[in-house]
Amino acid sequence: MTCNCCSSNDTNDTKIFDSKNLFLPKETKIVKVIQSTQLERHFTLRLADGGKMKFYPGQILEVSLHGYGEIPIGLASSPTRENTFDIVIRSTGRVSTAINQLKEGDSLFIRGPLGHGFDLPVLRNNNILIVAGGIGLCPTRSLIQYIMDRRSEFKRFSLFYGSRDPSQQMFLDDLSNWRGSADVEFHETVDKGDATWKGNVGVITTLFKKANIAPDTKVIICGPPVMFKFVIKELDSVGISHKNIFVDLERRMKCGLGKCGHCQINDKYVCVDGPVFTYSDIENLEEAL
Amino acid sequence: MNVYFIKDQDFNSFVAKMMESKKVVGPVTKKSKFVFAALEAPEQLRLDYDVTILPPKKEFFPTCQSLMKFQGNHCEGCINPEEKIILGVHFYDVKAIDMTDLLFREKNEDWNYLANREAATIIASNIQNVSSRAFFASVGKEVTPKGHDAFLTKLKSGYLFETLTAKGENLVKFGKFESASDGQKQEARSVNDVPLKKCAEALKHSSKEIAGKVRKSFANESFWNEAAKDCFSCGSCNIVCPTCYCFDVQDDWNLDQASGMRTRYWDGCLTEDFACISLGAGAVENFREHRGERFRHRIMRKAAYLNEKLGGPACVGCGRCSSACTPNIADPVNVINKLMEA
Amino acid sequence: MGKAKVAFFDFTSCEGCQIELTNYGDAAFLELLNHIEIVEFREAMSERAPSFDIAFIEGSFTREADRERLEDIRKRAAVVIAYGACAATGGVNALKNHQPDYKEAVYGKDAGQPHLDSSKALPISAAIKVDYKVYGCPMDKYELLRIVSHLLHGKTPVIPNYPVCVECKRREVVCRYDDNDHCMGQVARAGCGAICTADGIPCEACRGFVDHPNEEALVKVLKERAGFTDSRAQSKSRMFTANLRSDAK
Repeated sequence: MTCNCCSSNDTNDTKIFDSKNLFLPKETKIVKVIQSTQLERHFTLRLADGGKMKFYPGQILEVSLHGYGEIPIGLASSPTRENTFDIVIRSTGRVSTAINQLKEGDSLFIRGPLGHGFDLPVLRNNNILIVAGGIGLCPTRSLIQYIMDRRSEFKRFSLFYGSRDPSQQMFLDDLSNWRGSADVEFHETVDKGDATWKGNVGVITTLFKKANIAPDTKVIICGPPVMFKFVIKELDSVGISHKNIFVDLERRMKCGLGKCGHCQINDKYVCVDGPVFTYSDIENLEEAL
Repeated sequence: MNVYFIKDQDFNSFVAKMMESKKVVGPVTKKSKFVFAALEAPEQLRLDYDVTILPPKKEFFPTCQSLMKFQGNHCEGCINPEEKIILGVHFYDVKAIDMTDLLFREKNEDWNYLANREAATIIASNIQNVSSRAFFASVGKEVTPKGHDAFLTKLKSGYLFETLTAKGENLVKFGKFESASDGQKQEARSVNDVPLKKCAEALKHSSKEIAGKVRKSFANESFWNEAAKDCFSCGSCNIVCPTCYCFDVQDDWNLDQASGMRTRYWDGCLTEDFACISLGAGAVENFREHRGERFRHRIMRKAAYLNEKLGGPACVGCGRCSSACTPNIADPVNVINKLMEA
Repeated sequence: MGKAKVAFFDFTSCEGCQIELTNYGDAAFLELLNHIEIVEFREAMSERAPSFDIAFIEGSFTREADRERLEDIRKRAAVVIAYGACAATGGVNALKNHQPDYKEAVYGKDAGQPHLDSSKALPISAAIKVDYKVYGCPMDKYELLRIVSHLLHGKTPVIPNYPVCVECKRREVVCRYDDNDHCMGQVARAGCGAICTADGIPCEACRGFVDHPNEEALVKVLKERAGFTDSRAQSKSRMFTANLRSDAK
């Protein structure tokens, strides 16, 4: 099946980096930086050589800064958008903290795209629900944008977004677009409200009663590990098959190439077999969720 | 290819001639043990070694290897293979090299390994002495070694030299070889059978039975916690293993503070932080927090996880982990046999 | 980047780590001086600086009277690094912590002299906030260089939490236990490059323990593999890690 947006096959075989040295990063330039929340910064990048990177929603990049190291980061924009692509970096360690000091025009290095993203052929012509908790909205945003840009290829599209509190909400421009959009049934919640918050308060599963999710919906889940179990319990009560649930996992993907072993869960390497897995493929894998 | 014979008195000159052509790496002594090292003289070669501390994998995948050097925003790769001959590799290590060849090639080709590998000529040799912890005769019998270019067998009055590839055949010009007789070939076959009968330790079940039962034992937490009670999480079993290939990557600046290096180091999944990620503000999530989980992961990886990919277990029975483990708990034979009886 | 202002201080110690600093003796230290400026260093200069980017503190905190001086350093420093085993963990000084009669044992009839009075030997972090630790007795000057390099770039230094065995095996060193010796490399924090075992000397864990050492297994292995008596096996790791043991006083 050919992808219309980048005229290549729906396989993950497009790599922009040097096939004779997969460890050699490629330079990008920072086009735009937005301070998303206190800890997170949203970067828009462009390849320094002016090329366009081919990738699929849900794929990851190894993002690096010389001397500081590399970290795996999910792409946060859709390949249907311009010649740029987005990532969001949360300051958690050496590399992310250093990257979050950078400004527009600075260089950032990437290897990728890597890994197995969302199976677009499986998702097309179906009802879609995306359940994103916290920074789980970043990698799923690549798919949200994709669906919004090719809305006619998908049926009903619902999006649940949960944050710890209103100050943790990201992509504020997107949120305001989605709130008023007829293309997505957008439901949001915060675990803890504040004086300005008028919306739903409660964990993400409280949104299920607001949206009547059909049993044949394809569901994508991304968020903190603790969220998965509760969301899947809700989905079970709706009667959604585990074959129709897709989870986006996080691990220590040091090389991104299925070699270094750090992200291994049983016989799977999250960086090449995932990060997006069909839930039925991993539900019996201990250590996965 | 062809089968040759070389007399004992001509052997050292064969090695010397090879050394004139390129670097020759072989087993040499290090105190009471053996290691693969670049030969300085043919006499150093100890083909009667039992097992080396580290496997010959280090010749393609060095314990620490530069992946990239940078200067400001410029960066370049460090792939720079050196032609060499690795002489005296036992068959179990050839099997392990076959595995790392496949694993570094599959899905994403890692030329930092493959370039070194392709620049190497491997001469396997028969096992003249069996290490006390070896169990190569009973593990992964369905897997045959195939990555070597030639095979050397010590006979009574010389060596049988069987070439398997053009690279191996290319070495014949360095020695005073003659065609091997049927009698010499027969003698080599019986010589190579001997070590298979000399392993002091043995697995009692087939790879398939073991993989099935080991895999099913995942949830048997009391077994794994008990097995790992004395585990130091020291990673010795990983580092000496010929089929382990995990690594960590670290960046450092040079003294000028503008240029520097990205380097990978052998890592071990038994060490505490191996599967740990940082969540920020000092918080971490460790996906294998307890030593029993890490101990289990290694046995799973050796006996079950990679079998489909490799056509057999990711263990070749060299016994290095068993001897490297100071509390003597890493021995796969003990762990697996106990599990099979449980 | 501008030069980082660096100051050195010493407390209860043999000052061996300072000697180690002067041992660079090669281009490394001169190159480093292109990036740092030493503004206070009692051994080498008399100036005092009002503030500095990095304070390196050697030695352990063994007298309450030292607290004030440490707090003053903390106030003047952006980053405080405890360097060397004494400063990082209490080091060999902490051997006395479990032995109330140490003064008599060491000084005999002079034990009553007032200048010998001290309290428990503790790491610098027991008195003030320490940002980073450089382990080892003495500290490894090249590790210190790497840590300074990382700090110059605002990167949290990488300190291993795996044991010396990893580095020892990477160097293909014959295990001390295979040489009929003992060793504590299984519980000792790596970062030294296994220099001692590579020289045929057992690891004494001078860099302290990894975060979660298996102390029981160490005692067992010292007895079973190295032939130690129970009491020797039990006390073996006190030399450098008295404050890190589960029975630390």
